[in-house]
Amino acid sequence: MIVGASARERARRDGTRTGRGPGRGGALFARAGVVVTALLAPLALAARAQWLPITVVNVDAATTEVAGTFTSIQYELTAPGLSPLSPAYVFVRYSLDGGAHWSLVSPHQLRGDHDIVASPGRKKILWWGSDQLGLGAETVDLKVSVRGIRMVRVPGGVFTARMQPSGGFDDSQARVETATLPTFHLAKFETTVGMYADYLNEVGRNGRGWNRLMANPERCGIQRQEDGTYTVAPGRENHPVNYVSWYEAQAFLDWCGLRLPTELEWLKTMRGGLYLDGDEARRVRNPKPERKYPWGDESPEAGELWRCNCDVADRNRVPQLQPVGSFNHYNSPYGACDLAGNVAEWTLDPYATSYHNGIDGYRMIRGGSYMDPPAGCDALAGASQLPVKRGSITGFRGLRNSPR
Amino acid sequence: MTPASTLKIMKSDSSLTRREFVGKSAGAAAAFAVFSSPKSHAAPPSSKVVIGVMGLGGRGSYLAQAFANRPDTDIAYICDVDTRRFARTRDAVEEAQGKAPKQVQDFRRILEDKSVDVLINATPDHWHAPASIMACQAGKDVYVEKPMTHTAWEGRKMIEAAQNHKRIIQVGMQSRTAKYTNDAAEYIRSGKLGDVHVVRVFNLMRHAARKPASGAPVPVPAGYDHDLWCGPAPLLPYDPGRRWLDRWEYSCGAIAGDAVHQLDLARLLMGDPAFPDTVVHAGGVNVLTDGREVPDTQMVTYEYGQRILLFEAALWTPYMTKTPQLRRDKGEMPNWPFNATRIEVLGTKGFMYFGRHGDGWQVFNEKAESVISVPGRQADKEHQNNFIECVRTRKQPIANVTQGHYSAMLSHLANISFRVGNRKLSFDAATETFKGAPDANQFLRRTYRAPWSISDAV
Repeated sequence: MIVGASARERARRDGTRTGRGPGRGGALFARAGVVVTALLAPLALAARAQWLPITVVNVDAATTEVAGTFTSIQYELTAPGLSPLSPAYVFVRYSLDGGAHWSLVSPHQLRGDHDIVASPGRKKILWWGSDQLGLGAETVDLKVSVRGIRMVRVPGGVFTARMQPSGGFDDSQARVETATLPTFHLAKFETTVGMYADYLNEVGRNGRGWNRLMANPERCGIQRQEDGTYTVAPGRENHPVNYVSWYEAQAFLDWCGLRLPTELEWLKTMRGGLYLDGDEARRVRNPKPERKYPWGDESPEAGELWRCNCDVADRNRVPQLQPVGSFNHYNSPYGACDLAGNVAEWTLDPYATSYHNGIDGYRMIRGGSYMDPPAGCDALAGASQLPVKRGSITGFRGLRNSPR
Repeated sequence: MTPASTLKIMKSDSSLTRREFVGKSAGAAAAFAVFSSPKSHAAPPSSKVVIGVMGLGGRGSYLAQAFANRPDTDIAYICDVDTRRFARTRDAVEEAQGKAPKQVQDFRRILEDKSVDVLINATPDHWHAPASIMACQAGKDVYVEKPMTHTAWEGRKMIEAAQNHKRIIQVGMQSRTAKYTNDAAEYIRSGKLGDVHVVRVFNLMRHAARKPASGAPVPVPAGYDHDLWCGPAPLLPYDPGRRWLDRWEYSCGAIAGDAVHQLDLARLLMGDPAFPDTVVHAGGVNVLTDGREVPDTQMVTYEYGQRILLFEAALWTPYMTKTPQLRRDKGEMPNWPFNATRIEVLGTKGFMYFGRHGDGWQVFNEKAESVISVPGRQADKEHQNNFIECVRTRKQPIANVTQGHYSAMLSHLANISFRVGNRKLSFDAATETFKGAPDANQFLRRTYRAPWSISDAV
């Protein structure tokens, strides 16, 4: 039996529809008896860096005579300001057992408004072959979640890659003058505490992905409850998540279909290409292709301004993390926030030089942190860290290759 | 084998590579005797031992975290010439001890603070002795990373500084503290191997040739004090592609960088003799011809009377293996022939394999039968325990300044033999000079770049 048909029949019989709109992190579960339900991304998304507001979901299914079953997922993406330069990354996860276990729907199975979505409005995803995953079984209790992350587009082309990283500089990269990268999309914000707590509530009931350091409400604020669920300390939802190892960061990104950026991808997002609209267009020259910071060359504290969350000279100030996007007047040329300061960010790259070939697994982190001096947050500064390390100064953001 | 989960965590850190380091010049006159001879105190048992950490590379950062995790110590300062290195260590230290350390670029700020008891010196080789002597003069006890010295003369000055100022110096040769090491030494002392006439020490690594330094002028990054990094060594132009471990100005080379651990263990197994009578080196930069000054191949023979210490080091042997982190302290005997850091002890009755990294030891009899296998366990934490205990009791630590000098000398003697053309040299233990070899003696002491210096009277 086909899941969608079954759902529709039951809904008709019960006088209900498939679900719609939850509260924060919750599902809009239909009444008892409805098999197909839809778990929506949080509604309370006034906060700019949480999941993007996806407010209406309708899940349905049908069978075609030739191509088999497809599941239709409709959602309303209401985030303002979506554009090709600042699109959403939309991904779908599903559960066949009422929410006990979840999986990512491979984007290769989806058609329609998923992956990189460049405008707001009513959207539709077609999930072909869903019955091949077991959705056709009579007993299936399907739940679907649709979430979105704000991205920035980094168009393909050449950029100045020269750097002199410290704390474990890579002398091979120090020699690279320029590099050419294809178009990709990087998360506009660092992954937040709220996002990571949602992830834990889905996959971390056994404690995986969480550690006791996260419970500190002044540093992170993800608290594990006795029943294995996770709550966020008041006011911490939009702070960048920290105390995550490289492996845990990668696991989160696997969960939503992204990956960590390489050092070069991270650096290009910070500096911009030689042409900000990419090598195909070549209309907008980057005025500062070797900029030291996302906003230019001015030091973060120059002119009594404070351009990023780093440890400025005032030693009496206790460094604290800030909500992501707090310095959004000083973004990178593509609009990425907090590439300098706040949390330093894991990259995909191992720390490897011609004399240290990375056998002990170090990974590079970039961007400096709220505990770093300004010089530690510039485009030149990189640091190596053991991937098992969890520190208050280290977080991450995800990257999506240019789709299709 | 004793399982110890806490220790395992530390061990995983102990693989951190040590590179770079330290302080800042500030242009002040910087002769090492600027500090008046201080209080000669031991930290009372009831109070915490207050520590400043100089050099926040991999090893320094690890030590800062290890001591920050102790209930009886307080990391009051972290120090590095590169301020971009502060955050990683600062975060971990604050997490461990609930209090942020002060961050200073110039280690002299630590020495000026009378509340500080200990300087941990985890800098490149050229800073080990100068900063340690200054610390002794400032009334601080010292935990200094290996090799203890950059030149032979510095070792004697460090011994004198420790004696004159009644300071404790522990050298980061932690393998010496491991129980299995001392059990092996006791086994040899008991005569079960017969008379030991030959000890072979191996350090066979797998390094890649590196890209030559660009030579192009590169601006010194903001937040990094290159002048102070060079300190008493020549001020070479900043080049991020230059590897200090490959340059005589800053390093003692590969032997001192790693094999000094095995050489120190070999001395322990031999009963801790002071200096060999002769040394002769064979080898050079034979394979990794990437512009390095220090040899990639070092075959050295040391004669201690009738006993011979043979040392084989190479950096181009990919089939040789250091025991991987995950297999250390597991009670397993390594695959000895391909163990990169083993020691072989040849007696008239038996033969012993001995392994660094907690690899244990194994003895074979006249019939080549294994007669005893003793698993081992590393001893970073025990080594730190011993240091703090000695800071409190004023007893001499296990890897004290004298042992540090003798073991580092094996590196210096071999390197000097190489630098005078792989010539056999005789060493006079009384004067700590070579006999009839003025060209070799010139390498026993270095010239310090002003304003840094070490006076004869420390």
